[in-house]
Amino acid sequence: MHILDKSLDEIHEALKSGEVTSKELLEESLKRAHASQDEINSFVTICDNAKVYDVEDNVLSGIPYACKDNLSTRGVLTTASSNILNNYVPVFDATCIKKLKRNKAVMMGKTVMDELGMGGTGTTGHTGVVKNPWDTSRMTAGSSAGSAAAVSAGIVPYALGTDTGDSIRKPAGYCGVVGFKPTYGLVSRFGLFAFASSLDHVGCLTRSVKDAAYVIDAIKGKDEADMTTFNSRNIQLVDNYTTDVKGKKLFYIKEIVEELKNSPNKEYYENFMKVVDYCKECGMEIVSESIDEVILRSLYPSYMAISCAEATSNNSNLTGIPFGNRQDGSTTEEIMFNTRTKGFSELIRRRFVIGSFILQKENQEKLFLNAQRIRRLVVDKMTELYKKYDGCIVPNSESIAPKFGEKNDALSDTYLLFAEHLAISNFGGFPSITIPSGEVDGMPVAVNISGPIKHDSDVINMAAALEEKIGFIPLNMRGDK
Amino acid sequence: MIEIEKLKDYANKLMFDMNEEEYKTLQDEFEVILKQMDLIGQIPDIDKVSPMTFPFPNEDVSLREDEVGDYLTVSEVLENTTHQVNDQVKVPRVVGGDE
Repeated sequence: MHILDKSLDEIHEALKSGEVTSKELLEESLKRAHASQDEINSFVTICDNAKVYDVEDNVLSGIPYACKDNLSTRGVLTTASSNILNNYVPVFDATCIKKLKRNKAVMMGKTVMDELGMGGTGTTGHTGVVKNPWDTSRMTAGSSAGSAAAVSAGIVPYALGTDTGDSIRKPAGYCGVVGFKPTYGLVSRFGLFAFASSLDHVGCLTRSVKDAAYVIDAIKGKDEADMTTFNSRNIQLVDNYTTDVKGKKLFYIKEIVEELKNSPNKEYYENFMKVVDYCKECGMEIVSESIDEVILRSLYPSYMAISCAEATSNNSNLTGIPFGNRQDGSTTEEIMFNTRTKGFSELIRRRFVIGSFILQKENQEKLFLNAQRIRRLVVDKMTELYKKYDGCIVPNSESIAPKFGEKNDALSDTYLLFAEHLAISNFGGFPSITIPSGEVDGMPVAVNISGPIKHDSDVINMAAALEEKIGFIPLNMRGDK
Repeated sequence: MIEIEKLKDYANKLMFDMNEEEYKTLQDEFEVILKQMDLIGQIPDIDKVSPMTFPFPNEDVSLREDEVGDYLTVSEVLENTTHQVNDQVKVPRVVGGDE
């Protein structure tokens, strides 16, 4: 096994002992990125000339990572996988990138995503479809598709991602890696291309829970450039890391688990119930709790309404006038019209029309405000439950990664409970982590654990205890890869 | 069902267009979302719930000091554009009509 395939702790030790250099790690990472690019298409940009650093005391120093292409990186093309930004090179770094630079982390590439973050399949990026390293006939989900694929394929030990509804956690589940979205405001969003500001989170995809703790500790913190951040000196994930979670109390949402039980995916249900047993073996209490099914079924349309409305407004700056891939036209209006028609793909334009419709004065009460009321109801319910419990555990999705063609981004009536159940943690800003829980039909399945705001350490530790119990082996650590 | 003409009007107000097939897909999506939003409207006393716009109140907010911070130099700003003249970013005319 190459050192690049090990945990961040182990890679750090190898760098310190001189067993490997940062340059050698970068070379191996770049080699893997290029070798798999045709097959899985993780990257918009591979930084062949990335700057390497000597190892320092901090664990991320000298180690390569990948970054989702909606985080601004000074001097490095940042497209958000959209044609409208296909020539955009930021002149500043996002706060999380700045912090990783200070930690001497080595950014080796920018990963493909669903265009502007608004999709869940990994198929809508302007440079093509991202394929699942476990089975390239299957999708990765999205929008952090390339980040999940790059970590799963062993190109990097970790990648940055962003999560508005489930965009870190869904692809993490489909690709057999860990995906963590911390409490809203723990990590600054400055320099992130906003999709839906009240739901957007920056987080990471890693191969282990402890690695996620290292990454979030490095990029968190109050930022004057993002007024939603807060002082988090008392949240130290690595310092408080433990797999001793005896006495912690978890609940699972009965209606969601019942739906999985009654679906054709029995083995996924059985896997989940095995994890429930593992929770008990770890010394945690676990019970089922009910949430009004009408509210659960309302999550999907509410998420669509809120996110599309915010996105329509946030992306109105993409006109081609101040920056971006400007198209010709004889008037300002014509330039904007041509730029936006050619620059946005069909899916994005459909979402914007939905958002605009929802924001029309005559529709606001019935659509936008009712969606925000559902948000209040579900967040209040979860907050009430979190007074009794340390966390909530649910199956990450309703199935293994679908094959291409089995699922698209058009809105549908099916599987509504599972369509957006992870967005509960975006609605409330709750810390939420997805970890692989085993395999079904040779593909990874996963569970998701969430907890009350600012209790990120508890969420990490409960996930770490389960990770140890489950003993899942990441794809890059299996045999001759 | 929302008429396609109406959808075209919304799209054009957002400064883009779509083709007929795309409008049809969008029309079908509206069917789904409006049907589901109707169900939300039927929840008893839903109108008495206060809409939630942000995850939770952040109490750690204060005005920053009025101090000069990091800023970009002119040459750094110009790195971001191929349209430039006299050390300035050149943009299409955005005010005034045809002349």
